[in-house]
Amino acid sequence: MPRWTRWGLLALGLIVLGTAPSWIDDSYWIGVLILGYLYGVFASSWDFMSGQTGRENFGHAMFVGGGAYTAAFLNTKYGVSPWWSLPAGGGVAVVIGLVIGLPTLRLRGPYFALATLAGATILQRLTIILWEQTGGEEGISDLMPLVGSPVAFYYLALGFMLVVATILVLLARSPWGLLLRSIRGDEAAAQAAGVNTTLHKIGALLVSAFFAGMGGAFYAHYQLQVGPTLFSITVSITVVIMSYVGGIGSVYGALGGAFVLTLMTEQLRRVGEYRLLFYTLVLIAILFFLPRGLIAPLWRRLRNGGPAS
Amino acid sequence: MVIEIVIYAAVSSAIYAMLAVGFTLIFGVARVLNLSHGTFYALGAYFTYTYNGLLKLPLFVAALLAIATVAAFGVAIERVMVRPLRHSGLAVLMITLAMSLLIEQVLFLTFGSETQNVPSLVSDKVTVFDVDISGQRLLAFGVSVVLISGLWLFIQRTRLGNAILAVSQDAEGAQYMGININRVFASVMGLSAALAAAAGVLAAPFSKVEPGMGLLPMTKAFSIVILGGLGSIRGSLLAAIVLGFSETLVGYLISSSLTELVSLVVILLVLILRPAGLFGKHVAF
Repeated sequence: MPRWTRWGLLALGLIVLGTAPSWIDDSYWIGVLILGYLYGVFASSWDFMSGQTGRENFGHAMFVGGGAYTAAFLNTKYGVSPWWSLPAGGGVAVVIGLVIGLPTLRLRGPYFALATLAGATILQRLTIILWEQTGGEEGISDLMPLVGSPVAFYYLALGFMLVVATILVLLARSPWGLLLRSIRGDEAAAQAAGVNTTLHKIGALLVSAFFAGMGGAFYAHYQLQVGPTLFSITVSITVVIMSYVGGIGSVYGALGGAFVLTLMTEQLRRVGEYRLLFYTLVLIAILFFLPRGLIAPLWRRLRNGGPAS
Repeated sequence: MVIEIVIYAAVSSAIYAMLAVGFTLIFGVARVLNLSHGTFYALGAYFTYTYNGLLKLPLFVAALLAIATVAAFGVAIERVMVRPLRHSGLAVLMITLAMSLLIEQVLFLTFGSETQNVPSLVSDKVTVFDVDISGQRLLAFGVSVVLISGLWLFIQRTRLGNAILAVSQDAEGAQYMGININRVFASVMGLSAALAAAAGVLAAPFSKVEPGMGLLPMTKAFSIVILGGLGSIRGSLLAAIVLGFSETLVGYLISSSLTELVSLVVILLVLILRPAGLFGKHVAF
């Protein structure tokens, strides 16, 4: 596919999404799209670290939940403006990332995966144990919205996702991204070539955490409440599955995966209890039949006019 | 009070040990990091509930049957899900995590999210050194000691046990000696599932039986295994005792709400100070 067709398709997609509020009259579906954008932020930030470096983070909910709870604390307890929540949420997520990443990412092996999984589980327990501050199972409600009208929110979410995605895709295509992928390919060889792999893995994790935390804060000011389920393994694994569907390591694939799965599972909302079941079945199918994912390979095939590379 | 702390700590150490030994065994032998280990624990409790509460089998029979069912299930997961993906460590992580979520969802859809009651095998209270303790907890401690010693003897004394030992040292070398490593992997998975199920059956009467019940014990098992050294059975036994006692002590001396933090602190401290753990030979992979 020639270059101009690709840019044309991208522009067409942007026009469709950009005008969506005018031809979708249903506020419910606008809400679904906003959710899709936010999950796009979560999934692409996950993919930036785990997809590029091959170190799987099973506790991305730590960053999402950390950002969301930061927003809730600042906004409801201290009356800070919602706009400050975004950088603050990102900052807290970066601190969580440092605590988990510093000890584990210098090691080879499954330690990072285990520590992230354990970290998210324990943070979720903490929100219930420290119920006096966090509201326990109920969580914290009555946050202020970022902007008033749903349509304004829609454009804000779309813009937020586009900015985050652009930054992450550019970073992934930069020399730094190449360096990160060399860690996934052969960490020992990268080290032998003089790359401080630990430093770069931690750097990638912090970038990933920052955007996920920002996304979490955004989410909190959209839902206007936060709860312990934000830290749940369901959130972590949903993000992972979205990236797997999109094709690990491509960043834009994760974005597409998040979007497709959010829209698809909305159809399942009346059978809400089956949603996670559906996600896990999708994951199992992908692992066995499409280990490279769906969206990124499809796009590459279109682009090259031949088999996916 | 000291004796009370010691007894309660010993019981939770015993439960943790059953979980952690199985987890470290399958890692040490097959290099499989089994994220569905926690569901074996949950399934042990739920199958006991099914056989005893719904099918009205005697409790003792139900418990044994539950353990056997979960062991068979573990073998099936190894055979159908893990084996085809074993070439990639990441895929194995993903598939075991996916299985654990799938089972949790199936439990949720079958039994609902409310907690179920699993009766105690021993309902009497026992007085040990002037401390009243439920017989079930003592039973859990006793069974754990017996099972783990049995496992130790099995590995040291039997042919299959020796094969397991050989594969854990060098899988390829063992294969050249004519050991069927697939059979070894399957039996280790079965053993590890049976131990986790036994822990679930024994702990069920004094814990909340709900679909997600396996996740927290599994994170405890992680921290134990990291403290003991991935793949070392001796290490996990010692680490289970360390975690059991430190949690109970923190619970008694500071606040019971902080016990959950102990395992996270343990993980972080060990990874900073001595990543190989107490008995790990080297950092894994």
